[in-house]
Amino acid sequence: MDASKANPSFVYVTYIATTPEKLWQALTDNAFIRQYWSGTVIESDWTAGAPMRFVHDGVLHNTGEVLACEPGRRLSYSWHVEFHEVFSREKPSRVTFEIEPMGAEVKLTITHDAFEPGSKVLEAVRDGWPSILASLKSLLETGRALALTSPEAMEGAKKEAIARAERNAAPSA
Amino acid sequence: MSKPSFVYVTYIETTPEKVWNALTDPEMTKDYWVRHRNRSDWKPGSAWRHEDYEDAAKLDIVGTVVASDPPRRLVLTWAFPGEASDPNKVSRVTFDIDMFKGAVRLTVTHDELEPDSGMLRGITAGWPLVLSSLKTMLETGAAMPMTRQRWTDEN
Repeated sequence: MDASKANPSFVYVTYIATTPEKLWQALTDNAFIRQYWSGTVIESDWTAGAPMRFVHDGVLHNTGEVLACEPGRRLSYSWHVEFHEVFSREKPSRVTFEIEPMGAEVKLTITHDAFEPGSKVLEAVRDGWPSILASLKSLLETGRALALTSPEAMEGAKKEAIARAERNAAPSA
Repeated sequence: MSKPSFVYVTYIETTPEKVWNALTDPEMTKDYWVRHRNRSDWKPGSAWRHEDYEDAAKLDIVGTVVASDPPRRLVLTWAFPGEASDPNKVSRVTFDIDMFKGAVRLTVTHDELEPDSGMLRGITAGWPLVLSSLKTMLETGAAMPMTRQRWTDEN
C-alpha cells in the first residue's frame, strides 16, 4: 500500500453506489468509457492476451495487452503511452482494477505499478486517475460524467502532462 | 526522518462553499462520516473534535485548527484523544478546495503520520470511504448507506 522508493506505484480506492456488473460494463464498454475518459475509446476484445489500443479522436494514445480479465471482479492490462516521446521511451507499466461488493456499494481499487524508477508516466497518471475515476463515479451515480473529462478537455490535459514531464526531466539539482 | 503521508484527490460537481459546509456542519458529517460530528468554531487556534453524533462523550479524534480560510483551506491537527499530548502521534490534515475545469477539486493531505501506526492504516482505509460518500452526498443528495451508520472498525 505505501509507496516505497524501490517500487513506486499509484493506488486509489473509491466506493461507488452501483453493482459489480455495471461497474464492469463501465470499465469495458466504449459507450461509457468515452464519457468519463475525455472521448477515449479502447479497442480490444477483452480476453487475456488480447492487444489493446486507446484511441482519442483518431490518435493512438496508449497501447497495452489484457493481462487478466475476470468479469465483475478483476481487470488488469499493460500500459504503454504512445502520444509523446517523453512517455513512450519508458517500458510498459501495469494497471489493475479490483472490484469488491461492499454492502449497497462497490469498492473499486486501482493499482498502477511496474514503473521504471523516476517514471514520468507515474507523475502523469497520479494526476489523471483521480479525475477519470471521479467522473466514472459521477456517471454511474448521477447519469452524467464530469465536464473536466469532456473530449474537449483532453488536449489541454495532454499538453499539461507533457509540459510537466519535460520540465521535470530537466537536469536535477 | 520523513514521516508518511496520505494524499487523496477527488472532483465533485458542487461549489466550494458546499464542500466547506459539508466538512464543518455536524448535520452533514453525520451522513457521510459514519455518524460523527465535527465540532469547533473553526477559528485558527481553536480546538476541534470528531465525536459520536449521538454520544458527544465518545471522542474519536481531537486536535487544533491550524488554519481556516473558508471556503478554500482548512488545516487541522489530528490525534487519538489518549495520544494527543505526544507530539510524535499528532498528525496533520489539510483540506484544499478549489475549482478545476468546472468541478470542485478537493485535495486531502494527511501528513506527519507515524510510520507503521494504527492511525496510518486507519486513515488509509477511512479517507477513500468518507470522501467517496461526501461526493455522493453532494452530487445526489444522499450519502452512501454504509457511511450513515456507525462503523465497527475492521480496517
